[in-house]
Amino acid sequence: MKIAVVVQRYGQAVNGGAELHARYVAEHLARHSQIEVLTTCATDYVTWRNEREAGVEPVNGVPVRRFRVKHERDPRVFAKRSERVFEQRHSIGDELDWLDAEGPTSPALIDYIAKHAADFDYCLFFSYRYYHAYYGARAASGRAILVPTAERDATIGLSIFQPLFRSVRGVMYNSPEERAMINAVSGNDAVPGVVVGVGSNVPNNTQPARFRQKHNIRGPFAIYVGRVDRNKGCNELFDYFQEYLKDPAGRLSLVLIGHSLLEIPRHPRIRHLGFLDDADKFDAIAGAELLIMPSYYESLSMVALEAWALGRPVLANGKCDVLKGQCIRSNAGLYYDDGGEFIGTLEALEQNRWLAGSLGRNGRQFFREQYDWPVIERKYLEMFDRLKKEPPRLAADPLPGWFDRRRQDLRPAEEVLAALPTGPAGRQQPAAPKPAPADAAGRRRA
Amino acid sequence: MAEFNVRSDSVNVEQIMEQLRARIREKRGVDYTEQQIRELAAVKLEKFLDPRGIRSDLLEQFRKAQPVYEPPELPNFAFEDATLFESHRAPIRWIRKLLLPILKLLFNPNPLIQALHIQARLNTMNAEREARREATRRQLDQLYYELIHNLVIETTRLGIEVKNLNMRLESVSSRLEFNERRARALESVVVYKPSGAEVERPSRQQPHHQQQAPPPRAQTPPQQTSYAAVTSATPPSEGGTAMTTPLGQASAGGRQQPQQGAEGPGQRSRRRRRRRGRRGGGSAAGIMGAPGAPSAADAAATTAGDAVSVSEAEAIDDFEGGDEDQPAPPAPAADAADARSESADTEQRPSTSSDRGGEPDGQ
Repeated sequence: MKIAVVVQRYGQAVNGGAELHARYVAEHLARHSQIEVLTTCATDYVTWRNEREAGVEPVNGVPVRRFRVKHERDPRVFAKRSERVFEQRHSIGDELDWLDAEGPTSPALIDYIAKHAADFDYCLFFSYRYYHAYYGARAASGRAILVPTAERDATIGLSIFQPLFRSVRGVMYNSPEERAMINAVSGNDAVPGVVVGVGSNVPNNTQPARFRQKHNIRGPFAIYVGRVDRNKGCNELFDYFQEYLKDPAGRLSLVLIGHSLLEIPRHPRIRHLGFLDDADKFDAIAGAELLIMPSYYESLSMVALEAWALGRPVLANGKCDVLKGQCIRSNAGLYYDDGGEFIGTLEALEQNRWLAGSLGRNGRQFFREQYDWPVIERKYLEMFDRLKKEPPRLAADPLPGWFDRRRQDLRPAEEVLAALPTGPAGRQQPAAPKPAPADAAGRRRA
Repeated sequence: MAEFNVRSDSVNVEQIMEQLRARIREKRGVDYTEQQIRELAAVKLEKFLDPRGIRSDLLEQFRKAQPVYEPPELPNFAFEDATLFESHRAPIRWIRKLLLPILKLLFNPNPLIQALHIQARLNTMNAEREARREATRRQLDQLYYELIHNLVIETTRLGIEVKNLNMRLESVSSRLEFNERRARALESVVVYKPSGAEVERPSRQQPHHQQQAPPPRAQTPPQQTSYAAVTSATPPSEGGTAMTTPLGQASAGGRQQPQQGAEGPGQRSRRRRRRRGRRGGGSAAGIMGAPGAPSAADAAATTAGDAVSVSEAEAIDDFEGGDEDQPAPPAPAADAADARSESADTEQRPSTSSDRGGEPDGQ
């Protein structure tokens, strides 16, 4: 079986969630199939600048074929078009312009897929929101399997993606919440789909003491791993944690791992260690009392899964349906909706060691049952077998004509998003008037 | 407050979250959203807390901020029969008048004139009516403002009152808890047997107490602790009232007390009784008529030479939450038992406190 993995960026140094997801999946499926990765020469998700040479190179034993990006992203144009499609009535043409502005625009990649799709049994497209997934899935519609990595943001409300969700052969979802959201927005219930997610290469022998010694960290601490960014809810995390620090009974420190785009509050109990390698990261998580995930938007938090794999409880932002749903399903994490709940749950996890231990054990079990690599690989292979038995679906609808593209009859994407059901899967409320976070409007996912 | 408690091995996150939220609600009083809390925090309550009365100068300021309403000069016109043909030039007026019959041959201007005349009148009436409405609305606005202002004041007062009541409730709860503890202590009755010296002293100084006191209980069980022996073994100081300080420290008056032997099991309770006697007009034993109980005067006399002991007893009381307002125990025997249980309390509580604060690091 020959599989193409199509993703916007690829490489060992590329650490974006979907990109890492794609690399892990490619490397693990390479044990069962012949894998070729099709990607761009870009490594920076903001500019999409061509930084790698076009051509084929192996990465961890997997051949990677790179294609040049036609133009870099212009942030001003992208912001202007984002405002247009997210907040105003617009046309399909506006949405296609937005997709072109978002990038990475690589017609060479799409041409290659169109010409060589027949050489592959299936093409796995990662991240529905990018140029390569939209046009690539159309070019290989009979073989396209989508891994949407969709988050609950306004992009899901764009109308150009609804036919995409309906026209692919299969969809590999990250979580039941993601599946429910995509089903609701596109009505693709008939498309074969399975909730898979992604595993993680968690080491068996972590050394928390080594991490503490190396970074001079003493006492119990909570950890955040990821980009320290407003979009990840870090400013809210800082506010809440500083409130927690006012309580003299609390003894936890906060350790932040990852590149920072925010100013870190100056406090002896808030430590920012910057970007760390995987060994340090896992040692840090293993040494932490808990992992905090303040993000509003996640399709699947790999860091949370890694914390669970290491037997650590997770404290998640309850406004993120996926994280909340994962906590409830796994019984391995608590969640908060406001500052009071943040402090209450943090104190509960800090003071009730039995609770923290039980949640951690549940998390470890949840990871083993749902997200261990043998489980993930099996789900992918079962999906391939299933699709092999089913007749191929019809090709995607052609793009609308000149007049249809310019008809200004599409609702703002944020309106569409607001109408979608909210809450964890199985407990969803129809279009709850949930107040968007303060930065939601300004959030433009790169 | 309901304690967060998980007892089962099977963890249910939703259940835990419900418990936590209930606890937070209880702690916070009202389940405000973050937005509501921010709005409340933004309001300066002091502005509304005018103790001089409901009417504050805010209303005056509101009136000053709003200028007196004057109806605007709306554009209008007057329309009469000859308006269409008027001109300030006499020849033109004459020509128009001359040609009027010809004009009337072409069309009839009368309905037009009539309609415009009516319209002018309607405009005037509407303007007057709007002016009246606007004036009324402004008056009502002021009334509404005053009403809302009063409501805010009353709501704020009610909020403060609720807070005060909550505090009082907490105070009463703590007292109730103290009394329950005391009641439990009273369950095991220990008879207090006074020494001979203590029997004589109150009889000399306060004879009326002795008259009211019942006869000493002769049937005291021998196996029960008799604190009289300890008391009689204490040598009198200069004033005949000195008690031993636990660590042999100097008294408050600067006089060195002779260091005595180790503190007996009943000394602490006796100091306690004396202090109660000073505050409450007599010791419980005296009030209840125990023959050996020290009187209030006796207790007052001991104070001068026993400052360290009293301060220690107060410290014990402070640690226990204070019982100055509590009535004296009803019987000396009960008091002795109470003292024993309380001394046990003082020994146990610090360990409880250290347990709470000394959780293992886990690292």
